[in-house]
Amino acid sequence: MPDRSHIGRRYEAPGQVIDPERARQFAAAISGADTDPFPGQVPPTYAAVYCVGPSFAQLFGDEEVGVNLAGLIHGEQSFEWPAPVREGDVVDSSAEIIDVEDKRGMTFLTLAVEAKRPADSQVVCRGRALMIIRGAPQ
Amino acid sequence: MTAPGVSAVKAGDTIEPLSRTVTQEQINAYADASGDHNPIHLDADFATAVGLPGTIAHGMLTLGILTQALGRWAGGTDRVASLEVRFSKPLRAGDTVTCTGSVVAVDEEAGLATLEVDATSSSGERVMTNGRATVRLSQQG
Repeated sequence: MPDRSHIGRRYEAPGQVIDPERARQFAAAISGADTDPFPGQVPPTYAAVYCVGPSFAQLFGDEEVGVNLAGLIHGEQSFEWPAPVREGDVVDSSAEIIDVEDKRGMTFLTLAVEAKRPADSQVVCRGRALMIIRGAPQ
Repeated sequence: MTAPGVSAVKAGDTIEPLSRTVTQEQINAYADASGDHNPIHLDADFATAVGLPGTIAHGMLTLGILTQALGRWAGGTDRVASLEVRFSKPLRAGDTVTCTGSVVAVDEEAGLATLEVDATSSSGERVMTNGRATVRLSQQG
């Protein structure tokens, strides 16, 4: 299980491509039965794919941290988008464990994430995700 | 779609609520599109075993719907500059979520509006609390 010794651990996911087809599939999934109201715009929360997702994949694969995926809950999320990301952009994403706390028999892990577009050195996304790690099902 | 002008927006303005029924089919599509296949979203038996009322929508899916509500008001989701929420209650598959927002401050110089945002399920539960967003306004008008 994660503990405070893991604070400061970093994950790098360079070269994330904003694939137009995948971004549109993502927009359609958010839109459900409705038509995508903003065709051609990459949904801001597509950061789940180009920024948060790759870091989480590495975190979850980090056996020294040992996140128990069973019943993992997304507790809080914040994002800043200093500039919109566009289809075809390539961004370097990174993440750092900035806090681990045990409360009420659960572990609260905060990950800070960032995505930067090296072509113009523009940060396109910064965020924090609080994950609540519960026990495994009995 | 035109963005609201910075001088036309004032504290107390509300955005048009956006309601969407989040079916299991939509949750499955979101799992595929996002790559998040956590079984609490996809497998009812698993979800129940970890103490949930059944499969639940990804918090990020609800956040995506909220972003569309803001985008409709702002003249595009690319005008959403920041967003923060606490996922306070799960949104169950089949529930309808309604996203709302109201302006609490306008920074004319920066061209930014700050909004309090909310998402409520059809069963009357607030699925998000502590919701706050900032939106880039048009400098014209």
